[in-house]
Amino acid sequence: MAVASVTHAGAGEPPADRLYAETRELRLQGFLLFLISDCVLFSSFIFAYLYLRNSGQGWPPPGIKHLDVAFAAWNSVLLFGSGATMHYALENWKHGNFIKYMWMLIFTIILGAGFLGGQGYEYTHLIFGEHVSWWGSGIFGASFFTLTGMHGFHVFVGVCYLTVLLMQSAAGVYTGEKYFGITAGTLYWHFVDVIWVVLFSIFYLI
Amino acid sequence: MHVDPAILERTGAIAGGLIVGIVAIYALYKDWATPGVENHVFKLMLLLLGIGAVLAILAGAGVLGNFPTA
Repeated sequence: MAVASVTHAGAGEPPADRLYAETRELRLQGFLLFLISDCVLFSSFIFAYLYLRNSGQGWPPPGIKHLDVAFAAWNSVLLFGSGATMHYALENWKHGNFIKYMWMLIFTIILGAGFLGGQGYEYTHLIFGEHVSWWGSGIFGASFFTLTGMHGFHVFVGVCYLTVLLMQSAAGVYTGEKYFGITAGTLYWHFVDVIWVVLFSIFYLI
Repeated sequence: MHVDPAILERTGAIAGGLIVGIVAIYALYKDWATPGVENHVFKLMLLLLGIGAVLAILAGAGVLGNFPTA
């Protein structure tokens, strides 16, 4: 099944469609500004963590015996994989391959939910197994749970958003030329991926 | 037969990272000439996704990682 209907911007089309075409760049810029503001939010927490981490208590911090790098690497691959499937979801939409688009979107949602499940498992292991908590484990606990929790919340919002996209796409809300919601969803999901590259590096690798 | 979960996680991280890395670099190569702000952002993010995949491979292989294994 190909993308249902294609709306061409032109003089004879409804005013709402013409307005959509005329304001697309504006909405893209607005969404990019939102992502930049989110980037600033994460950056402030990341730099605060790096500053505190380098202010004397050493690394690994006292009382923190073990962080499962292998599991985190596997869980990261789930999220990075979802970034790749989301990219190809958008590409398939642009090329009119509706079925492939839907499957890629479904894979993205599953992988995103899998990442959240993995993060839940890791939190459970840390809190009950290693006795690391948000409030009682110094800079490490506070930074780790704040940053990864904030990121996890973004992933959760992204999974909800992509699920809405899936239902809207099935209902025929988007067309061959009116699909800014899908573009925005792809940008947001890539952003969430890229933030995790940084968080994965600073908490598990360096 | 008992298989250590860490071995499975490491193998999954390496295999998955390879697939994601190749897909990301291939997508970047295919989209390299596309114009427009959103496509430039996509290219930057694909590049960072590729770097993330490489980091996951190295972490899975035990080359990178700041904590000892259990």
